[in-house]
Amino acid sequence: MSTFPLQVVSMDGLEYEGNVQRIMLRTVDGDVAILARHMNYCSAIGMGTAVVVMEDNSERTAACIGGMISVMNGECRVLPTTWEWSEDIDVARAEAAHREAQERLNKQNLSKEARNRAEAKLYRSLVRIETAGKNHSS
Amino acid sequence: MAANMKAVKLRIKSVQSTMQITKAMQLVAASKLRKAKEKADQSKPYLDILKDTLTNIANGNTDFQSPYTKATDNDKWLYIVIAGDRGLAGGYNSNLFKFVEKATEGRDITVFPIGKKSVEYFKHKKVPLFTEEYAEVAAVTISDCFEIGRLICEAFKKGEFGHVYLCYTNFVSMLSQVPEASSMLPLSDFASDEKETGKARDLILYEPDSETVFNDIVPEYLSGLLYTSINVSVASELAARRTAMEAATDNASEMIDKLSLFYNRARQASITQEITEIVAGAEGGS
Repeated sequence: MSTFPLQVVSMDGLEYEGNVQRIMLRTVDGDVAILARHMNYCSAIGMGTAVVVMEDNSERTAACIGGMISVMNGECRVLPTTWEWSEDIDVARAEAAHREAQERLNKQNLSKEARNRAEAKLYRSLVRIETAGKNHSS
Repeated sequence: MAANMKAVKLRIKSVQSTMQITKAMQLVAASKLRKAKEKADQSKPYLDILKDTLTNIANGNTDFQSPYTKATDNDKWLYIVIAGDRGLAGGYNSNLFKFVEKATEGRDITVFPIGKKSVEYFKHKKVPLFTEEYAEVAAVTISDCFEIGRLICEAFKKGEFGHVYLCYTNFVSMLSQVPEASSMLPLSDFASDEKETGKARDLILYEPDSETVFNDIVPEYLSGLLYTSINVSVASELAARRTAMEAATDNASEMIDKLSLFYNRARQASITQEITEIVAGAEGGS
């Protein structure tokens, strides 16, 4: 299969650079898969698991939250707020965050802002746990 | 002569203790710099690629639906100025302020200061401040950056400002740090001035639509830009401090050398004088 150059850059640095066959991730508008020779494209990233199919057909998954994806002239750039390869995810920490967020949400009379923050935390932890789980099953 | 010698000795001591302090500051800055530089290096590609991508989009953008992309005729400027918390960093703070002064000449500006020095300076200059909440640059976290990004976006959408600029100090090398300004909003400020005429614009597909995409991306991009710029600025500050303190230490040791030479000379002179006196006395006695 033909490949295209992909760059994944998060605030923590360059996460990946090289040619890939396909990248699949969740945008605010739903899941998309980018293949070689995709038209110029731009979207905001939602919260979900990203799957990258490498040149040698191997697959890597990562938790991918926030930021943007753009395809310009055949080059794909992913600029996520958070990008964690599944093998790097600290599951214990994600589970602790999950519990804490749930506890916070269970409390009564939470301010709207605090609720939003707790919900975001809950989603983030769920994405991490799910991504790490996918890696184990494969 | 004896009094002179004592004064010189005291001076040497005081210079020595100053040197100890500058040397310690130099070492502290050097060791902190290593960590800060790593952090800045890590986030640098994000900053570069983010800017590059947005310039691309701004150049190719034909759709100015989003409030963030439209060029406005609102003539109010918001400058985010990232300076240090402390002085004794050579020209780090003053270079940045001079740069800001020049860049903002004749403009109606409000400043969003980050860093204690920045707050102090613009307060003194009586420039209206957006908020003083983020006075300490060392204490700004990623979530603070997101909060700031959100704040700025809201103010921009309300039309409080027509342009948002960010001033920070770029880390060129260990020995050179240059103040820089970069445009944050609106995105049309990103479009390069010399658009190649005749060249077809790259059409971009926005999903679900450009407005939603920009509304989602922009606050996040602002925070990312801010966070990385803060990292770079902190590294620049430490490098500037290290260089300044190194120079101070060198100067102090040079001064000590000169003073000890002077002291030895004075000591020699007093001994010579004593001998002369004794010899003269002995000759007079015999």
